Parts: sequence; C-alpha cells; structure tokens
Amino acid sequence: MDLVLDIRDIHRVYESEAGFTHALRGVSLSVRRGEFLCIMGPSGSGKSTLMNTLGCLDTPTSGSYYLEGMDVSMMDDDELAEIRATRIGFVFQSFNLLPRSTVLRNVMLPLIYSNNCPVQEREARAIRALNSVSLPEQYFDHKSNELSGGQMQRVAIARALVNDPALILADEPTGNLDSATGEMVLSTFQRLRNEGKTIVLITHDPEVSSWADRTMHIRDGRLLTDEEEREVIRTSTTRGRGLT
Amino acid sequence: MRIADLATETWEALDANRGRSLLTILGIVIGISAVITMTALIGGIKQSLVSSLGLNQARAIYIGVYSGNSVTQADADRVAEKVSGYKFVTGYNYGSASVTTGNKQKNAQVVGVRPEYFEAIGKKPGSGRLIQEEDVSSMSCVCVVDQNTVKELFGDVDANVVGKTIRMNNDDYSIVGIIPAQGAAMGGGTTVFVPLTTSMARITGSQTIDQMIGYANEDADVDELVSSTKSWLERYYQVEPQQEQGQESGDFFGGAISVYSMKSIAQQLNSTMLAFQVLMTTVASISLLVGGIGIMNMMLTNVTERIREIGLRKALGARRSDITMQFLLESVCLCLAGGIIGIVLGYLGSFGLAGLASGMTNGAPVTPVIEPAAVLLASGICVAIGVAFGYYPARHAARLDPVESLHFQ
Repeated sequence: MDLVLDIRDIHRVYESEAGFTHALRGVSLSVRRGEFLCIMGPSGSGKSTLMNTLGCLDTPTSGSYYLEGMDVSMMDDDELAEIRATRIGFVFQSFNLLPRSTVLRNVMLPLIYSNNCPVQEREARAIRALNSVSLPEQYFDHKSNELSGGQMQRVAIARALVNDPALILADEPTGNLDSATGEMVLSTFQRLRNEGKTIVLITHDPEVSSWADRTMHIRDGRLLTDEEEREVIRTSTTRGRGLT
Repeated sequence: MRIADLATETWEALDANRGRSLLTILGIVIGISAVITMTALIGGIKQSLVSSLGLNQARAIYIGVYSGNSVTQADADRVAEKVSGYKFVTGYNYGSASVTTGNKQKNAQVVGVRPEYFEAIGKKPGSGRLIQEEDVSSMSCVCVVDQNTVKELFGDVDANVVGKTIRMNNDDYSIVGIIPAQGAAMGGGTTVFVPLTTSMARITGSQTIDQMIGYANEDADVDELVSSTKSWLERYYQVEPQQEQGQESGDFFGGAISVYSMKSIAQQLNSTMLAFQVLMTTVASISLLVGGIGIMNMMLTNVTERIREIGLRKALGARRSDITMQFLLESVCLCLAGGIIGIVLGYLGSFGLAGLASGMTNGAPVTPVIEPAAVLLASGICVAIGVAFGYYPARHAARLDPVESLHFQ
C-alpha cells in the first residue's frame, strides 16, 4: 500500500497566557496515494491544527509524521520550507492570491521557492496547471483581483498543483463561495483525484464531505472511531453520497 | 530563490506603493543631495582657487624679507646663486597709482617685475607680449594688464587694448600685452605690471624690492628648497630662527623671513576645506539618519500590511532567508533610489549655487566638480542605510509564524 502520509499518535499542545491548550490528543491517520480524504469537524475541534501539522506549517509536540516515507516531524524550519515548496500544495478558504499580480504570476509563485523547476519551464507548468483546473486562457493575464470567487479558487488550486505535490491540502476551499461555484470547485478536486492526486480537504460542511472517498470526523482533538462515526452519521441531518 | 525573482518581487512591491515610497525616501534624497552639492561645490571652489592662485605652479617659491633691511635685486640673485635648486630668483615691488583712461580714473596696484616673473607665476600672454629685458634695461613706460583690469578700465573683458595708452602718475604707459585674469588672492582688482626699473624710478621711488619669487629647477624638491632657502636667509640676515610653534616651515604668516611655496598654501587650503567638509557631512548625516528611520518605519508598516502575503509565501515554501532578503532588498532599493535622485538633484543644485559660491572665491567662476568617488560613496552610504534600517523589519517579517500570519485579519 502506497502511503502518502502516515501520522502516528500526534499531540499538539499550545502554551498561551491562558494556560495550555491541548489541540490534538493522539491523532493517527494514513492516506493512500490517489485518495480524496475529507476531515470534518466543528470549529474548535482541532481540524485547523491538524491541517497545519499535515501542511508542515506547524510541528507536533509529540508523535511521528511520515510524508512519502520521510520523517518530517524532526525537520528544521528550512527543511520544512523545502517540503512545503515541493511536496505540498495549499488551497485556502480565502484564496490568498497576490491581488496585484497576474493569474500566471500567482500560479508561478511556488516555483520561485523551489529549485527543481528551470525558469524557462515555469510558464509552461503554470499554464498546464491552469488548464487542469479549466480556467479559460483569456484570464491568464488578468490581475487576480479582477476574477470572480470561483475563478480565484481555481487559480489557487492551479497554484497548489504547479509543483506536482504529493499532497494537496484544502482548508474549507468552498467556505467563501456560493453553492453552485463551490460545487464547481469540488468537481475540480474530484477530477484531480481521478487523475491520481492525493487530496486532504478540511471542512465543517457535510455537503462538501460527500464528494470525498472517505470522511473522518474530528472532535476535541481526536479522530472518531468507526463506532463513534456511525453515531455522528445517524444524528447528522444531511446524507452525503460519499458516505455509503 | 533566484536574484531575478527577488528583483521582480521587489519591483512589484515598490511599484505598488509608488507614492508612499517616494515620500519615504525624501529624507535620503535631501541628505544625499546635500552631500553631493557640498562635495561638488567644494571641489569647484578648490579648483577655482587653485587655478586663480596659480597653485598648479608648484615650482614657484615666494620669499619675503621683512627685517628692516632693504632688499634689492642683487639679494635675489645671491639667493639663486647660494641656494642650489633655483632656476632663477626674481624680485618685484608693489606700488599704487591712480590710472586714467580716457575719462575714467581708477586706483590700481602697480607691480614692478622682471621678465622671469611671468614664467614663475605661470602666465602666458593672452594677446600681445610680456615685459621684456629691454623694457627693464631701458626703463620704458610699457605695461601688461590682466583681463580683470581690462574690464575695470575699459568695461569689456575681451576688449583688445594692446597698443592703447593709460596714464599713471603723469606718465603715459602703452599696453603691450594682456594676461589671463589673476585670482583675488593674488591682488585681484586692478593690477598693472610694469618693468621693475620703471616702477622704481616712477612709481615707488625706491631701489628696493618688496618680495622675491623663486622658480625651482624641475628636479628640485620644493619643500626642501623652501627650508634651505629659509635657513640660508636667516644666516644671511642674522635673524633668529623663528620658533616653529607647531607650524610647518614655509608658513606664510608672521616672521621676519617668510618663505613659502604654493604647495604649502594648497595644503592649508585643503585643511580649511576639510573642516568645512566635516561640518557639512555632520549636517548631511543627521538628515540621512532621519531618512533611515523613515525607511525603517515604512518597512515596518509594510510588513504589517503584508502579513498575510508573508504567511502565504511561507506556506508556499519560502524560507526565512527568502523573506529576509525580499524585505531587505526592498529597503536597499528604496534607499538607492533615494540616493540616485539625491545625486541628480545635488548635481543640479550645485550648479544653482555655483554663483553664490563664487562669492567665496571673490568673483572667480566656480564650476562644480563631480567626483566619481563621491557618487560611489553616496551610493554606498545608501546601500548601507538600506541594510542597517531594513534589517530589523526584514527579520521581523522572516520570524512571523506562518500559521498566525495566514489568518491575520
């Protein structure tokens, strides 16, 4: 079994003025290559912390994290930056595009931080990524703040794809979009999954989770067991397609 | 991160904030233009003084004996004979007369000279000829004037007055030649050169000379010649050697025997200018310091405004050093842009103020001198300011936590 990520018993404790916050309490999770996993949980459940940990933006207090077999829990800042630059693609709720730069430059942005893409190939790769999110070519030279929300998010997905990462991490990617546009974005993810990309999507919206291959629920810093999960599904009012 | 990428990012960031960037660098612009104006003017003043004083005549040595003895041309010849290293030593005297030309009357300084005098001060005739040996031996009433004097007497600096006659002390002198303008320090104003003998007979009425000017041999060490001349003269006139209270020999202030070369004047001039320069540099430094703080302030605002962008860049794989470099380069570019604008403005300003500065040289024109070294130094200072005042904001940006900055509102 080809595991893209494998985390074992991750804990994350924050120290703040108010005392210690135990955001993750022993999370274990593995994701196969080509899987579309959805992690669901209400706010405060620790899903953002989990997302940051998976994205190598944050290091766990204890536990191990293997990304494509590499132990990233022991890496220093610069090594993590290198991992983020080459192995992870981020999609954010608020898109986080550089507003004054063109679509193409936004998509090329991760390439300037990784050393494995020759300058003359950058544009070709960005165009390929934009094609795979079906953004019409006429928008490539637009400033990103001239686009609609759905277009912006597709640009952001293209940016996440451009380095051909092992893992695409999406944090509430449809949170700022209306439902029709949201569906378009989700279908983009599904198509990417069909092309063999590994996607971990975090949401609190059960509608969204129905697009994924597998959904896991997080509560109070722990992933729920199958039994607890069935309980959650029974009580949830919406039934998604992906949960059979 | 590649240099080219860094440059593009920097340009985009600065371009986006053009108005604010321009305001921020104003302090640097003012500081640098002050430095450039100052160095250009000082260079110009120096050059103007050097050419008007004949400071380039490094081989001329001025000898004055003020011991109460009467000094004659014979003494001058003796100096040339006894102190080795002189091509010649020639005496001259000063007198004054009222000069009448047509219906104009002016007071003039009259310098009685021998032909060698002009070689020593490095003047060639602009038109006509100089005082010649026959003029001296025949005590003829001829004179040479400089261009300043032409202007004073005839109203037009370029007037061709060779062959014209001026009247001094009831004698008519015909102008035989014109030399380029003398500087203010050399007497300026209205100066008429006549043969030494003529001056002795008709102007000063005395056979003595007032000063000698020696012309060193080409291979002679001028400094050494100054001191050997001085000590010889002290022995000759039996004058107590002057107490050298920390002053260099050849100082032309005080003493019964004064021997100095233009070289020592040039040195004194340099030290005077240096003091001026230090003062101006202090003022400019304060402006640059204030400018630097302005840059730091803007960069800190900049970092706060772009926290989310920084978080994004980090999420996309930027290392701390990438972020540091990006912000550092922005501040260096800002300062450098300020410096370049300052250099241009300073250069223009120095031409604007050149007229004012010519007051310091008593009317001699001042052409600002731009030294490449000053331009390079100014640019270097700008880069240093950019690094010094950009480092803290850049480090602050680089150390931001990516998670927190991504969610910064």
